[in-house]
Amino acid sequence: MNIYGMGVLFNRGRGIASYEAALRQGWQKPSEVEAPYGPGGTYPVYQVDLEQIPDRTILKKMRRSDKLSKMAVLAAHDAVDDCGIPDIRQKNVGIIVATGHGAHPTTFEFLDGILDFGEAAASPTVFSNSVHNAAASYIASVLDIHGPTLTVTQFLFSFQAALQLAKVWLEEERCDYVLVGSADLYGEVMGYIGNSMLTTADDGKIRPFHFKPSSHVPGEGSVFFLAGNGPSQSVYCSVADVSVGGDQGDGAPADLIILDADGMLPDETAYLASVSGDIPAASYTPLFGSMMTGSAFTCAAGALMLKNQVLYPNPVVDNPHDVRLLKEKTDAPARAIHCIRYNAHAERAVINLRGAP
Amino acid sequence: MENTKEQALSQVKKDLKEMLVSGLSLDDVTPDEIKDDEPLFGEGLGLDSLDAVEIVVLLQRNFNIEVKDMDQGREIFQSVNTLADYVIKNRK
Repeated sequence: MNIYGMGVLFNRGRGIASYEAALRQGWQKPSEVEAPYGPGGTYPVYQVDLEQIPDRTILKKMRRSDKLSKMAVLAAHDAVDDCGIPDIRQKNVGIIVATGHGAHPTTFEFLDGILDFGEAAASPTVFSNSVHNAAASYIASVLDIHGPTLTVTQFLFSFQAALQLAKVWLEEERCDYVLVGSADLYGEVMGYIGNSMLTTADDGKIRPFHFKPSSHVPGEGSVFFLAGNGPSQSVYCSVADVSVGGDQGDGAPADLIILDADGMLPDETAYLASVSGDIPAASYTPLFGSMMTGSAFTCAAGALMLKNQVLYPNPVVDNPHDVRLLKEKTDAPARAIHCIRYNAHAERAVINLRGAP
Repeated sequence: MENTKEQALSQVKKDLKEMLVSGLSLDDVTPDEIKDDEPLFGEGLGLDSLDAVEIVVLLQRNFNIEVKDMDQGREIFQSVNTLADYVIKNRK
């Protein structure tokens, strides 16, 4: 499966250029949000500010939608625009959205509405946005895409499950292309839960290679990929394999291992089993924050590096376990990158990216 | 007395305009830009049937007023003026 186009929206802006700039520039302190239920008064959060999006064209078509759908549509739109396939809108394009928690602030808003005003005065607009498939529906509607749509939730492996499904849809020729990506949102309730159950990095700096205690800073954003099985010219990379759990994939060697260690697990020492070899390791989670679908951002970093043949250094290099880290920008040719995520059961998921032939 | 009624009507219109802008997420217009007699639907403010359902909910939440008959709603929802008259007459 080849990646033809990408769209990225995160705390440091919209578009591939913003993401590339973040990879080049390294870590930046996130914003602070009020923490009404927790100690300390504020949390660090990598928050997306939609007010800063200069092009309002798409957002004007979505005044009723919530933030999750807006983020997803912007990233999906940019992936379609980026793909360079002239007749893409005439093709049968499927949509798969991976999300860890979906539009949970909207769901809570709807429930609060019932509690505060009664069932009869529950907002129909808020209800429609709280439905789990709302973001996928908005993408289909705003981008005028008529293929199948699906929303996938599988905790920390949601994006991997979405990628696997995209490969199946393409292999079965259920669609010509698949717009596959992720969207996750910060919300006050999840902020409280995260701060209570995980170790929040008070200085806003995720330290991916500490492993235990891990460090967590909530993030939000959306990444989309326009993927297909067509010609491999002008692609970012190919997704050679996506393995989850017991299936360890094709075992092909990699030039770089990217870890999704982001503090979403209190103990991330399982990652040590994947970084014991000679292959350098990196983690870009300090650029976009902790989220269930952070693997999509990691995958975007891998795709960019394979296309540009540049390996970006770790944004945070605290390294108490003496892992072999990628510390400097490297222009050596990269053929393959493995993106690795562990879940709470120490199961491993590997996205095996390969450079274009 | 008349002056107090005028003030109450003016305040309701102001509240309604703020309710419409924030409750319907009208990004392109401010409360002050909505004219009292401007049609809310179609050529005027450009609202649609989904907004009408949301306005029913907003009236209930903000003014404790129920609009059960949507045929009646057509008359009430013509403009801020008609909405304000209905609110003044039915406010509990």
